[in-house]
Amino acid sequence: MSHSSAGSPCCHAEPAAGTATAMERELAHELTMLRRKLSVAAVLTGLVVAATLPHMLGVHLKWLPGWFTSPWTQLVLSSPVLFWCGREFFTGAWSALRRHSADMNTLVAAGTGIAWLASLVATAFPGVLVAEGLPADVYYETAAVILTLVLLGRLLEARARGQTSEAIRRLLQLQPPTARVLREGVVTEIPVAKVMVGDLVQVRPGEKLPLDGVVVEGSSWVEESMLTGEPTPVAKGPGDGVIGASMNRSGSFSFRVTRVGADTMLARIVELVRQAQSSHTQVQRLADQVVGWFVPVVIAIAIATFVLWFLVSGNVVLASLFLVSVLVIACPCALGLATPTAIMVASGKGAENGLIFRSAEALETAGGLRTIVLDKTGTLTAGQPEVTDFERLRSGQLPAQTLLALVAAVESRSEHPLAEAIVAYATSRRGDAELPDVDVFEAMTGLGVLATVAGKEVRVGSPRWLDASGLDTAPLDPVVSRLERAARSVAAVAVAGRIEACFGIADPIKPEAHAAVAALRRLGLEVVLLSGDARRTSEVVAADVGIVRVIAEVLPGDKAAVVQRLQEQGQGPVAMVGDGLNDAPALARAEVGIAMGTGTDVAIAASDITVLSGHLGGVPAAIELSRRTMATIRQNLFFAFAYNVAGIPIAAGLLFPLTGWLLNPMLAGAAMAFSSVSVVSNALRLRRFQPAHRSVGAAA
Amino acid sequence: MTPLFVATPLSLSAPLWRTIPQPLALQVLVTAVGLALILAELWWFLGRHGGGVVASEGEQGVQEITITVDGGYSPSQIRVKAGRPVRLRFHRTDPSGCVAQVIFPDFQRTLDLPLGATTSIELLPNRPGPYPFHCGMNMVRGSLAAE
Repeated sequence: MSHSSAGSPCCHAEPAAGTATAMERELAHELTMLRRKLSVAAVLTGLVVAATLPHMLGVHLKWLPGWFTSPWTQLVLSSPVLFWCGREFFTGAWSALRRHSADMNTLVAAGTGIAWLASLVATAFPGVLVAEGLPADVYYETAAVILTLVLLGRLLEARARGQTSEAIRRLLQLQPPTARVLREGVVTEIPVAKVMVGDLVQVRPGEKLPLDGVVVEGSSWVEESMLTGEPTPVAKGPGDGVIGASMNRSGSFSFRVTRVGADTMLARIVELVRQAQSSHTQVQRLADQVVGWFVPVVIAIAIATFVLWFLVSGNVVLASLFLVSVLVIACPCALGLATPTAIMVASGKGAENGLIFRSAEALETAGGLRTIVLDKTGTLTAGQPEVTDFERLRSGQLPAQTLLALVAAVESRSEHPLAEAIVAYATSRRGDAELPDVDVFEAMTGLGVLATVAGKEVRVGSPRWLDASGLDTAPLDPVVSRLERAARSVAAVAVAGRIEACFGIADPIKPEAHAAVAALRRLGLEVVLLSGDARRTSEVVAADVGIVRVIAEVLPGDKAAVVQRLQEQGQGPVAMVGDGLNDAPALARAEVGIAMGTGTDVAIAASDITVLSGHLGGVPAAIELSRRTMATIRQNLFFAFAYNVAGIPIAAGLLFPLTGWLLNPMLAGAAMAFSSVSVVSNALRLRRFQPAHRSVGAAA
Repeated sequence: MTPLFVATPLSLSAPLWRTIPQPLALQVLVTAVGLALILAELWWFLGRHGGGVVASEGEQGVQEITITVDGGYSPSQIRVKAGRPVRLRFHRTDPSGCVAQVIFPDFQRTLDLPLGATTSIELLPNRPGPYPFHCGMNMVRGSLAAE
């Protein structure tokens, strides 16, 4: 799935929270400095503009002292704007120049510097221009206004950039700073960083849980919505896992800490979101290439503009104005910011709703999905199977309780979820029958189990398998058909080659399944149900939730092959939704693997997207968010390209011969400053994303 | 673009907009200097300059290099051996917020660089090839070349 050829990075873990606050302080400092410089620049620029007004308007104001409108005064007023307020542009441009690179600073410094230098020449040697027949005009106000506007743009942009990482900041703030730990019979409140694995932490009503652990004593309802997006509080009692940063409701309990530091679920989520924000989409690679070439090409265009206008008009002042306009209108920042800001906001927004995207590519691919494959057990159903029917066959010879004891003994060796349900049922109904010893045991993945007990061969598994093993399954058929039509999974028991009985096992469909499938279809996706279960059972479940296409009786190992077949049939890109544990190969095979989280242990790593709550409504929500994000990225890239493609020729004076319009360099500066602000603001609109399908799912 | 962005010059009445005949020699000179400037500038910014700096061999086979962040990455082209861990130490002296983060898209890693401090990251370039990195806004760029 990943295009990257890079190996997993070595161990370099930083305390995420500490760094974030350091970065926050720095951003705050940057904002303060920008504000200070901007206010100084605004005042001085205002004075320079006031000084040029009489000249611009062609009026003579008697009350304005002559020295105020003098070019020398303008020089004195504008120089601090350029070289103190705008110092970073010049130093940045210089150090970039030395390293053979050119950026935003290069353009701003060159544009304003040229305007200022040209004015300096006109101030010191006005005779040169007058001899040419040109007015000895100065353009200090142009340089000062451009610089002030760019500073304003940078301030707005820095503020907006701070907001794009807001989601991570909010996640980090979820963890309470202290925990009440019981050590040697005394409860003390200590900083979370000092709590160790194995410590006993007490939680009072209304308190946030500091870390992950297992409840030891007491019980309560805990809200995990801040992490998983699941709105309903979850009941917790002894033995249940709890996650740090979730909110305790009314009860009190104590839990034993199992994970601290970077291992906690919260820390892992933050790390994953940061990883996603560090990755690139395919669509950005084009923008990346353009950005590398952009500034040098713009400088070349600016010089060419100057030369052409000089040849056409012989007017050096006019040519210089066009040169400055081209330099200051170009905005590579808008191109560079178009994708990362949208990815930042979207992955943060996802995390807020319990949807973890592993990479920017996952967001990109999920936006273009055509087919979505849903695994049945644990994804569409609750994954908590229960035996509802126990049918003895006429061919059966063993007493019911002996048979149940036999089945309980055999099935207790299996780890299959259906086996667990059978064990629970058989153990509670076996009465006084003793559990026999199992001599030989073999689990046939996806089929059943084969064991030898007291010299007799025992098989528990799917009727298909028993049939294929050469047993006479004819008496079983009517029972199986009835159970399967009732959406039951069927496991039959054969002892010494004779079918004795069968179990009907029901796994309740998740309440939100119907609404989620409907939402997926509304998104235009072909929904496919994939199951290892019998065809009839799967079809009944599918019909119940509104799925038309069913691929059933697939062995666990073949699920990846089914995904591949769909891809080869041109149904791709395909998403596979599963629990992330048993169907990892299929998740990896699909263009987008979506894992449904269950409880506190989340197999996040194997999938491209993880729905932490395991709520099916998260799947359409994730796809919707992906689509919105890609739309935002496309808008941003289009705007950034269109802005530069249209703006540069106008600034170069293309319209001047036609319409007599000349882009005032000050307006060029304003356009540039606001183009990058608008790209960031457009990305910030994603913050308002509300997963429409999620609430539908939750309400159902 | 709408006419909103376009302004007629405020002082059209002034003789600024007139055409001035220039001697041919001056026109040729300006053209020649302009072209030379364009070529020089493109060569300076886009041409190849040196083959990059080779990371030094540190303890336990970790290849190490210190990169100064000041308006750019210095050095920005780093040559390393593939399949061996690389430790990059970033020393940031540039206060601009743009370079406060360095992003390694191929490794899906982001490193925050506090101002005035040295922050290090360890990477493992498994296969030979270029591994570009860049600042948070994608304006300042560098690359690891694994060979």
